[in-house]
Amino acid sequence: MEARPLSIQRSSARQLNNLGVSGPMSSSLSVLPTPLEDTYSKLPNSQQVYMEQELRTRPLAPAPHIPANSGVVGHIFSSSSGLSSDLQYSSASPHEKLPRTTSFISQSSTPIPQTSHSGLPQSSTSSHYTKESSSSWCPESLPGYVDFAANTPVQNSQMEGSSCSGAIVSEEFSKRNDWHEWADQLITDDDPLGSSWNEILADTSMTEMEPKMSYQVPKTPTSMPAHRTQVHQQLPASSTEIRTVVTPSASANNAPAKPRMRWTPELHEAFVEAVNQLGGSERATPKGVLKLMKVEGLTIYHVKSHLQKYRTARYRPDSSEGSSEKRLTPLEEISSLDLKTGIEITEALRLQMEVQKRLHEQLEIQRNLQLRIEEQGKYLQMMFEKQKSGIDMLKGSSSNQENSSTSLTKSELEGTQVDHDKKGPDTANANSTNEESSQPKELDGKQKAPETEAPENAELNVSELSSQPSKRPRTEE
Amino acid sequence: MKFGKRLQQQIEETLPGWRDKFLSYKRLKKLVNLISSSPPPSHRHCVEAEADFVYLLNHEIDKFNAFFMEKEEDFIIKRKELQQRLQRVIDTWGPNGARPSETNCKEDMAEIRKDIVNFHGEMVLLVNYSNINYTGLAKILKKYDKRTGGLLRLLFIQKVLKQPFFTTEVVSKLIKECESTIAQVFPVDEKEIGRREPTIRVTGEGVFRNTVAALLTMQEIRSGSSTRSQFSLPPLDLSDSEFIRTLQMNSPPIPIPIL
Repeated sequence: MEARPLSIQRSSARQLNNLGVSGPMSSSLSVLPTPLEDTYSKLPNSQQVYMEQELRTRPLAPAPHIPANSGVVGHIFSSSSGLSSDLQYSSASPHEKLPRTTSFISQSSTPIPQTSHSGLPQSSTSSHYTKESSSSWCPESLPGYVDFAANTPVQNSQMEGSSCSGAIVSEEFSKRNDWHEWADQLITDDDPLGSSWNEILADTSMTEMEPKMSYQVPKTPTSMPAHRTQVHQQLPASSTEIRTVVTPSASANNAPAKPRMRWTPELHEAFVEAVNQLGGSERATPKGVLKLMKVEGLTIYHVKSHLQKYRTARYRPDSSEGSSEKRLTPLEEISSLDLKTGIEITEALRLQMEVQKRLHEQLEIQRNLQLRIEEQGKYLQMMFEKQKSGIDMLKGSSSNQENSSTSLTKSELEGTQVDHDKKGPDTANANSTNEESSQPKELDGKQKAPETEAPENAELNVSELSSQPSKRPRTEE
Repeated sequence: MKFGKRLQQQIEETLPGWRDKFLSYKRLKKLVNLISSSPPPSHRHCVEAEADFVYLLNHEIDKFNAFFMEKEEDFIIKRKELQQRLQRVIDTWGPNGARPSETNCKEDMAEIRKDIVNFHGEMVLLVNYSNINYTGLAKILKKYDKRTGGLLRLLFIQKVLKQPFFTTEVVSKLIKECESTIAQVFPVDEKEIGRREPTIRVTGEGVFRNTVAALLTMQEIRSGSSTRSQFSLPPLDLSDSEFIRTLQMNSPPIPIPIL
């Protein structure tokens, strides 16, 4: 169960081969965007070295960095969740697909500035970033990396210098875009399969650039070329839509990719029909059923396991759930032959139904409430970030105010955190900060200001993050 | 702490095969404590604990997803199978009325009713499983954010909301379908429910017991907390179902006095 984005960090810490193979493939690629093929053979070591020294050169900072962390984390998750059904398809061994990925990534690494669908003028952004060594981005967002630091020997190698800064550039660059991307995704994305191709493309190509994404990225870009066509064909599939949810439990270490299939009633109908056509559950073979069903993305493994379950269900109805649980009603003891007792049984069953129905009702209500709560929280967070960026712009115009801005943002951040725990004041706070920052909102080009000024990268992260959701074109100072 | 205990109760009351599939709330909490107790983030333990935390979260989500989807698949198959069975019984004995005095008919019907009700219950328990795990995740993330000043919660939850184990629409649909089937299959109830005994003791290890446990647990979880915020759920309102409150959990196994 290694394939979850950040979870791989852990396993990799323990087994460096994982790291070398499945893990930060893209990190090395992002490090050396052009001479990919050359360094390909050196991937495992160079990656470790690269990350290793990244960690060393950038000491982690306290809490203020966590936004960056969560930002990245959020992105990983959102990209994984938003694109999970499509893009995590490749739990297939990445090393098999490395060559393809290499070329894929190297191709896309250059067009990235133009392909982002969020509409940012990427080229200006990336060029601006070359100046920056916002070292804070990387380490804080990757607490797990320190593990690697512990395990791998420090090598101040020739990875420094141009390649490093190049990596940083691409990291930052992609990170900013990622924020954009996932923010958009969070707002607009409902159905993973329904995501626009641009989104997937842009998102994938951007995620490639991030070393921290590397854990996941080998899956995404790797799968993209192959899976894209698959998913493409899935989309038009009318009634039988497959949601191939790749849970990382089908780890990257397993050679045959077995993404978890999520069966739907419609899919099952098609299955049953196919089975019946083939003469029943006993006579039907997985291969035959697979052929008859003609559903894209369905593998023989899926059919096989499903068929097995199906057979069990038919011939041993009570044990179809597979476990040895005893599903007793309270009336097991009472004989069912007695008519009077029969009525009792029915009554008991009715009671049981009542309780169950009630529970279900409450669960639905609870779930809806939870969804609404999160919606609200998300909304508030966005508002908060918008205001923060407004304030940052206001503050960023003068270099003297660097300190005050950073402390302001930090306290704002904490303030919001605290506010989240109170019912009413949140909205009030949001409103008040709204008023404050209403003016700075017009100052479009000022987002960069804090960046260039402050060496304290911690607070910069916060302001950087806050400026992400707003799609303002970045201009030079 | 309170939730942890409730969760523990729920786990104990749950169906045997499910016990290890729930959220490892305690472990996560320990990690959060660890993280917040060693403030300097460059400290190895703190960083390690954070990585552990995230790793564990991901691992748990995988666990939920795998279990949930497996169960969902089982339910889909079972529902079809029950449908077919029901059809067969109806065909054999006429639409539940043609030959009602036939013992076999009665038996079959009783059997299938029981199965359908249990099936319904199990599906509801799965939804409950999903929900309680989600609640646990939300709580632990809130705790994390509070202790470390991070912003992990909001983002992580957004991801969780899209996970298979939380998107329970299919199961809910099956449940509703089941309810309507049962309404057709059960004879009309002339007696009133209020006629029941004041206290109904629930025994056995079955689905029913778990359902009741789940309901009561839910009520307790939502019954107020020291850290109420706009992210908290309001108290559970079961006032409209009097008899539910008369339910009382017993430790198995005692014969149940129903009527």
